[in-house]
Amino acid sequence: MKEYDIIGKPLPRVDGIEKVTGQAKFTVDMAMRGMLFGKFLRSPHPHAKLLSVNVEKAKKLPGVKAVITRDDVAGIRYAFVDTPRYPADETPLAVDKVRYIGDEVAAVAAIDPDTAEEAIRLIEVEYKPLTPVFDPEEAMETGAPDIHEPFELGSKTEWEDWGVRRDRRALDWRDAKNLSGRTSVVFGDVEKGFAQSDYVREDRFETKATAHCALEPHAALASFEPSGKLSMYLSSMGIFYKRFILAKALGLPISRVRILKTYVGGAFGGKIDLFPYEFCAAFLSRMTGKPVRFELEREEVFTSTRQRHPTIIHIKTGVKKDGTILAQKTKFIADNGAYRGSGAIVVYLGHAFSIPVYSVPNYHYEGYSVYTNNPIRGPQRAHGSPQIRFAVDSQIEMIAEELGLDPLEIMLKNARKKDDILPNGDVLKSCGLSKCLEKAAQTSGWKEWRGDRAKRTQERESTSRYKRGLGMSACSMFSGAPFYPFASSALVKLHDDGSVTLYIGATEMGQGSDTTMAQVAAQELGLQLEDIRVVSGDTELCPIDHGQFLSGGAFVTGNAVRLAAADAKSQLLKLAVEILGADEPDLGTKEKRFYVRGNSDKSVAYAELIQLSVQRNNGNPIIGKGSMKAVQEAEFYPSLAKAKGHFTDAYGFAVQVAEVEVDTQTGLVNILKTVTYHDCGYPLNLSIVEGQVHGNVSMGLGQALWEEILLEGGQIQNPTFLDYRAPLATETPKMISGMVETRDPGGPYGAKEVGEGSISGILAAVANAIYDAIGIRFTRLPITPEKVLEALTLPLSPKGKGKV
Amino acid sequence: MKHILKLHVNGEEFEVLAGTNKTLLEVLREDLGLTGTKRGCDLGTCGACTVLIDEKPHLSCLTLAAAVQGKKIMTIEGLAQEGELHSLQKAFVERGAIQCGFCTPGMILTAKAFLDEHSHPSEGEVKKAISGNLCRCTGYVKILEAIISVTKDS
Repeated sequence: MKEYDIIGKPLPRVDGIEKVTGQAKFTVDMAMRGMLFGKFLRSPHPHAKLLSVNVEKAKKLPGVKAVITRDDVAGIRYAFVDTPRYPADETPLAVDKVRYIGDEVAAVAAIDPDTAEEAIRLIEVEYKPLTPVFDPEEAMETGAPDIHEPFELGSKTEWEDWGVRRDRRALDWRDAKNLSGRTSVVFGDVEKGFAQSDYVREDRFETKATAHCALEPHAALASFEPSGKLSMYLSSMGIFYKRFILAKALGLPISRVRILKTYVGGAFGGKIDLFPYEFCAAFLSRMTGKPVRFELEREEVFTSTRQRHPTIIHIKTGVKKDGTILAQKTKFIADNGAYRGSGAIVVYLGHAFSIPVYSVPNYHYEGYSVYTNNPIRGPQRAHGSPQIRFAVDSQIEMIAEELGLDPLEIMLKNARKKDDILPNGDVLKSCGLSKCLEKAAQTSGWKEWRGDRAKRTQERESTSRYKRGLGMSACSMFSGAPFYPFASSALVKLHDDGSVTLYIGATEMGQGSDTTMAQVAAQELGLQLEDIRVVSGDTELCPIDHGQFLSGGAFVTGNAVRLAAADAKSQLLKLAVEILGADEPDLGTKEKRFYVRGNSDKSVAYAELIQLSVQRNNGNPIIGKGSMKAVQEAEFYPSLAKAKGHFTDAYGFAVQVAEVEVDTQTGLVNILKTVTYHDCGYPLNLSIVEGQVHGNVSMGLGQALWEEILLEGGQIQNPTFLDYRAPLATETPKMISGMVETRDPGGPYGAKEVGEGSISGILAAVANAIYDAIGIRFTRLPITPEKVLEALTLPLSPKGKGKV
Repeated sequence: MKHILKLHVNGEEFEVLAGTNKTLLEVLREDLGLTGTKRGCDLGTCGACTVLIDEKPHLSCLTLAAAVQGKKIMTIEGLAQEGELHSLQKAFVERGAIQCGFCTPGMILTAKAFLDEHSHPSEGEVKKAISGNLCRCTGYVKILEAIISVTKDS
C-alpha cells in the first residue's frame, strides 16, 4: 500500500513544547482584569419541591455583585437533545423542583471565590422533600413518582432549525413511567429465528456509572464587549455545537457569541453538553458588565457534570450448533439521572454499536432511557458501546462454553465483512474485523492457551492460588455522525514564504487534532510539519467543524483539510505548469518548490508562485478551502426512535484481548497484558493513534475492574480521586496495540475513527478472561476483588461454574 | 490578614502580598501568573500541582505559601535552562508522552526529582515514582517510555 512522507509517521505533536514548558493555556488558566468569580448553591435533596429562595442577605454581602435564581432565568430551557419528541428539559437554575443532589438552585458572582462562597451560605431555601427514585426499573413502574411533568407538546425546539420535522408531531410515546427516550428496532423475525436455533440463552448484565476524570476541571470565563457581543473561554469538545446551544439559551444571535481557543485538559465526552456554569457565567457577565469565571471544584465535577450511563441489559440470543447467530433480542435500559442529558441518544447508540460487529439476521432491540433522581449522565468515550459490547461478548463466551466451541470461532463466523450493508443502509466500505480477530488471537497466543479445553478446565479447577486466563471482545465505532453542525470545513492560507496557516474549528483536547490536521495539510501541499501553523478552536476565526464527538475528527475534518490543501495546491500547480512549461503529472514537490521530475534543476519556489498569483490574479494570495459533510447521504439528524437513516460513513473496528491473573486468596485481578488490534483505516500519526489506544485500554481496565460512582440515596460517596480511582501508573500492564490497515475509500488517506472504539472491547475481554481463569461468570461490572472473593466462596454448581 | 511573603521561584526573588491561608498553588497561579502549575483537584489527590521545593516534589495545593519562604521553588516554567529544554521535556515531546498536557508539568517535575536521585531505575520503580500523578489520557505507556529513555541516554 502507498506510503507517504508525512502522513502515517509518528511525528511529535505540534503543541508538545507549549505543553512541556507550562505555556499552554487551558480554560482554568484564563483570567481577565476585574473578573468576578461565580459559585452555585446546589440542592442537598435528591427530589424536592422548591418552595422559596431568598437571596436578600446574600445580595447585601459586600463584594457580591449579583445573585440569580429561577426568577432571573424564567422560561429558559435547553438540552443536549431538543426535538418535538424530546423537548429540552433543563433550566439554568431549578424552577419548580430540584431533581438530584447537586442541582443548581442559585448562582452568585462576587469579587473573589471566598466572598462568593460566603454569599452562597447566606441564601435561604425552603424545600419540600418528595419521594425520590434511584433504580431505573423501579422508576418505570406505574406507582413511581414523576420526576418530570409531562412534556409540553408543541414547544419550539432547537433541532427543528436543522431538519427535524414537526409534521410527525410527538404524541405521548411513553410506554412506561419516567421515560426520557425510547428506541425500537426490528428486522427479520426474531421469534422465528429463536425457533430455528439449536441453542437459545437469555442473560442480564449490569454496568455502572463511571466518571470521565478529565484532569482539567470544568470551567468557563465569559465577558461581554460593550457592543453586546459575548466572548467565552470554555473547556469544550465541540465549539460550534456549544455556540449553537448557548446562543439560543441566552437569546443571542449566533454571530454574537464567540468561543475562543484554549487547550482542553481532557474531555472524554464529558464536556460536550451545555452546563449551567457556562450559561450562568455568560448571564452574570451580561448582568454585571464584568467578566465572570466559574471553575468547578473537583467534587462538583464528579457530582454535577456528567457520568457514563449505568445500564441494565437483557440479551436473548439464538444460535445454530456451529455458533451461527440466528436471532438476538435486546432490552437496553439506561439510567440517565435527573435530566435527559444524552439518554435518548445512548439508547439509540446501544443499537448502533451492536449491529456493525456481528451479522444478526433476526433482531429486536428495545432501548429505554429513564429518569431517576441520580446525577445526570451524558456521553462518555464510545457512548453506549462499552455497555452493549460487554453484554454481547460476555454472552458469546457463555454460548461458546455451552456449545463446546472456541468463542473466537463464533466471533469469526458471525463477524461483519467489507461491503456488508447494515439494516439502516450503512455500507461497510472497509472492514478489518476478521483480520483484527485473527491478529489479536495470534499475538495473544489464543489458540495455544484456549485450544485445549480439557487442560483449561483442569487448570481452572486446580488448587493453585494464582490462575491465569485469556478473554476477547470485538467492537466498532462511528467515524463522525450527522449531528449539529453536520460538517467540517477548513481554510489553508499561504504566506509569502510558502508556509501555511491552517484554520480549522476543531478543538485540541489532547487527541492530537492540531498535529494530525497539520500533517494532512503538509502532506497534501508537499510541505513539512513545521511549515504549517494551526489556528483552531475559535468560532470567529475558524470555519465550522463537526466537533470532537462520535469520532469524526480524522474522517470528517481530515477530509475537509485535505480538500482545502488540495485546492491551494491546485492553484499553485496551475501557475507552476505555466512557468515551468511542463505537464501537471511531470511535476513533483520538494522543499517548498515544484520541480520537473527527471530534471530537478528546473524548479520554481512556492514563494515565487504566490508573488505571481498576487501580481496576475487581482491580488489573490492563494487561499484554499474545503468542506466535508459528516455523512454524505444523511438528511441531517437520524431518527433516534427508529434508528433509521445513515449513522456514519465509516466504521472503525477493534478486537481486544486481556490476559489476567486472578489471586484466588485476595480476589485481586492483575492484568498481565492487553492486546488490541484496531482497524482505524490508516493511522495518520502512528504515535498519536497508539496513544489513543493506550488511553482507551487504561480507562477500560479501570471500568472493568474497579471504577464505579457509588451512590447512596442519590448522594455520591466517592467524589474525589482518592475514592474514585482512575488507574495509576503502577496499574499499567503491558499494552500491545497493532494496526490493521483497511484504508477506507471515504477517509483522508483511508483514515477512520480511532479515539473511542478501543475502550469498548476491554470490558468483556476482562470478564471473559476472569471466567477463563476461575470459571466464574461476572455479569455485573466492575469486577472488584470483593465480588471475586465472594463468588469464589459461593457453593459451586454441579458443573463447577458460577454466575454472579 | 495579609503579609508580604518572600518567595524564591525559578531562580528569582518575589515579594507577594498574600493571606497566610494562601496555598503555594494559589500564589504561583494567581499572584505570579505561573499557570503551568495546574489545579486538578485541590485536594492533593491528582499530582497536577506538583512543584519542586528544594529539589523535592511537593503538592503545591497542600503547601502554604508562607511556609516555604526561603526555600528554592521550581515550577515547570523554570525547568528549561537558557532556552534549552530539559532532557525529560524533550523526551516527552519526542516520544508522544503528552496528550491533553494538563498532567504534564507535574508529571515531568515528579520524574525529574526521581531521576535526580535514581539514575538507572527499573520500570517498576518509575511506575511507583509517578503513581501520585494521575493521567487519564495516555494510560501512562508513553510517559513511562519517555522517562526510561532519559535514563538510557544518560
